[in-house]
Amino acid sequence: MSFAERMLKIDRRIIFLVIGLCTLLPLLYPVGLPIKVSPEVRGVYEHIESLPERSVLFLSFDFDPASKPELHPQAIALLRHAFKKNLRVIAMTLWVSGTGLADQIMTQVAREMGKENGTDYVFLGWSPGNTAVIINLGQDLYKTFPSDYGGKPTKGLPVLDGVYSLKDITYLVGLGAGNPGVEAWYVFGKDKYRFEMGGGCTGVMAPGLYPLLRSGQINGLIGGLRGAAEYESLIDRKGTAVAGMDAQSATHAAIVLLVIMCNVFYVSLRSQQGRG
Amino acid sequence: MPFESIVGAWVATGLTLFIFSFLYKDNPVFKVAEHLYVGVSVGYTIVKTYDTVIVHLIWKPIVENHEWMLLIPVFIGLLMLTRYVPKASWLSRYAFAFIVGVGSGLAIPRTISSFILKQVEDTIRPLLTLVPGEGVSFTWNLLSPASGVNAIIILIGVCSVLFYFFFSVEHTGPGKAVARTGVFFLMIAFGAAFGYTVMARMSLLIGRLTDLIEFSDASYGRPTLWLLVVTIGLLIVLGRRAQREPPQES
Amino acid sequence: MILLRRQLPLVITLVTGLGMAAQYYVPHPASEGLLTSVTKWLQIIGGFALVLGVTSLFHVHAVKIRRQEAGWGYSVVLYAGMLGTIAVGLWANGKESIDGVMTAFGWVYSYMMVPLQGTMFAILAFFIASAAYRSFRARSREAAVLLAAAVIVMMGRVPLGEYILPLSGDVSQWILNVLNASVRRAILIGVSLGAVALSLKIIFGVERSYLGGGKE
Repeated sequence: MSFAERMLKIDRRIIFLVIGLCTLLPLLYPVGLPIKVSPEVRGVYEHIESLPERSVLFLSFDFDPASKPELHPQAIALLRHAFKKNLRVIAMTLWVSGTGLADQIMTQVAREMGKENGTDYVFLGWSPGNTAVIINLGQDLYKTFPSDYGGKPTKGLPVLDGVYSLKDITYLVGLGAGNPGVEAWYVFGKDKYRFEMGGGCTGVMAPGLYPLLRSGQINGLIGGLRGAAEYESLIDRKGTAVAGMDAQSATHAAIVLLVIMCNVFYVSLRSQQGRG
Repeated sequence: MPFESIVGAWVATGLTLFIFSFLYKDNPVFKVAEHLYVGVSVGYTIVKTYDTVIVHLIWKPIVENHEWMLLIPVFIGLLMLTRYVPKASWLSRYAFAFIVGVGSGLAIPRTISSFILKQVEDTIRPLLTLVPGEGVSFTWNLLSPASGVNAIIILIGVCSVLFYFFFSVEHTGPGKAVARTGVFFLMIAFGAAFGYTVMARMSLLIGRLTDLIEFSDASYGRPTLWLLVVTIGLLIVLGRRAQREPPQES
Repeated sequence: MILLRRQLPLVITLVTGLGMAAQYYVPHPASEGLLTSVTKWLQIIGGFALVLGVTSLFHVHAVKIRRQEAGWGYSVVLYAGMLGTIAVGLWANGKESIDGVMTAFGWVYSYMMVPLQGTMFAILAFFIASAAYRSFRARSREAAVLLAAAVIVMMGRVPLGEYILPLSGDVSQWILNVLNASVRRAILIGVSLGAVALSLKIIFGVERSYLGGGKE
């Protein structure tokens, strides 16, 4: 077997080891390369920055623990920004397995920023029905969620003062890992109820949301861990996303090198077979 | 550090390493963790469904607030469950007919408005600035997605890809050139999608390793290091047992 | 019997489908009230649909344990995990935390479900690297274009790539915002047209596979 053949048939566990080391070493010994902010992420940031105090930000945590590494930092950064701007935050989730995560995120950031449940924010929890929930929220928020996640009746909460449905919110950001996600919030929400909207999503979903971004259907898009790192840079509060960027750089470089090597060996093997 | 956090760190680290052991090879330790994952996920869904649907959406509104109209969807939902009773499973058709009918009816106008009309509008509207008239301007800035040249490229891309997927007409002559252009655009988009998928998958790994690094701290009792030794030990023992078994059977 | 088993469900689909489609264009308060009620009903029915999905899983593993098929021990682990989670969940009334204090249900969620689900998906990182090495070869012109675009986007979206080659960031932005957006737009339009066509076929009874359940 020639060298090129042996390299192409290498045990995949060696590749696993390379990827493992490329991820682990930068996390243990970070470098801290600068992060350039893209216009997509700036779109969400600048819109929230422009909102007056006590405007209503609606956050939908449509992800489960599988997408936590990408969307959890986005959620934390958005909430920190919203609370710093003294916005009223209404949060919920369309994914049943993400309810615990969403509750934990809201409690953690609210405690950190000194915000009060019921006055500055409310976590509505989860309700089944996916897109039916969105339409129902657009018709009557109190019928969809008669009580919040803790069991407190939603009618009369100071944070929901003047808010009867999605038509009364100022800005909605859907953090989506799949379906239902950002697209569902647009199709069943913004299309009829006409609120301004931005999106956050995993790296897998991001390329598919660019048509909505280009047409202005969403005014910004935070894509994957990179998007979360950009948002953390903008709010000047570096967290887990920025910390993960060095490891991201190393693993991407490793994959690019692996792909180049694979093609070099492939071309070499083909020319050997051609000569033979 | 609270006791439940320390115990939790050990359990989380152990389960994480058991799942990672699959990278070496499929083994009983991974299978236990995998089945536990399915069990816990289903259990969580059941609890949430019971609490939200039965207690908050059905029991409280009907029994406490006397919203008797909600008995209709409860009845439809119960019809759905007849799918498991062979003689009565035809009753479940009513439930599915209702759900599918309402779902389709809700989706049609909204999808047409959001994903067809709005997208076609945004493909064509930028071109209106290019038609000779008052205040015409054509921008050549490639870096600005809203520039004139990019509007033309987007139009070519959308039309050629749509044509590529139109299989009712044979792709010959000028059609072949359009289809080949569509394929070129598609390959670039798939390449970009692959790049983003790599980014997403690596982010998931970064997230787990970040937690493992956090749990290697002395305040938790260094579960990462100890459980790594235990996992490797288990793999060696199980590997040796698997090697010894075939001679015993013969 | 055919009327009850086949035709009446199709009539229900037709009436509800056309009704809800027409509702979108009718702003009258009665129409809006109908939308609110129907979507509320869908939420409740959606809950029952979850029960359906979960019951089939119960059944598969119960059979495995009863027949003591190969690997039935793992099914016991599955049941233990499920029943344990249900027990702590019902004890905590379905809440992960009460007044900021984590319940046993919250403990199971944070220290078992989150790491298990997160790690199951994290191992995909290794497989994508291995698959990229083994099969991402420029066998043709199209494959070479795909490869080049992937490499540019992979380097352009990380700080290292932008540091070494600042142009890669701008080029990957252009690829995403122009080339990728145009393709995804075309796919979105095409898929949406297909979805609308399928919905119309379902409403008018041409497509009946969704009915399932029972003999004609």
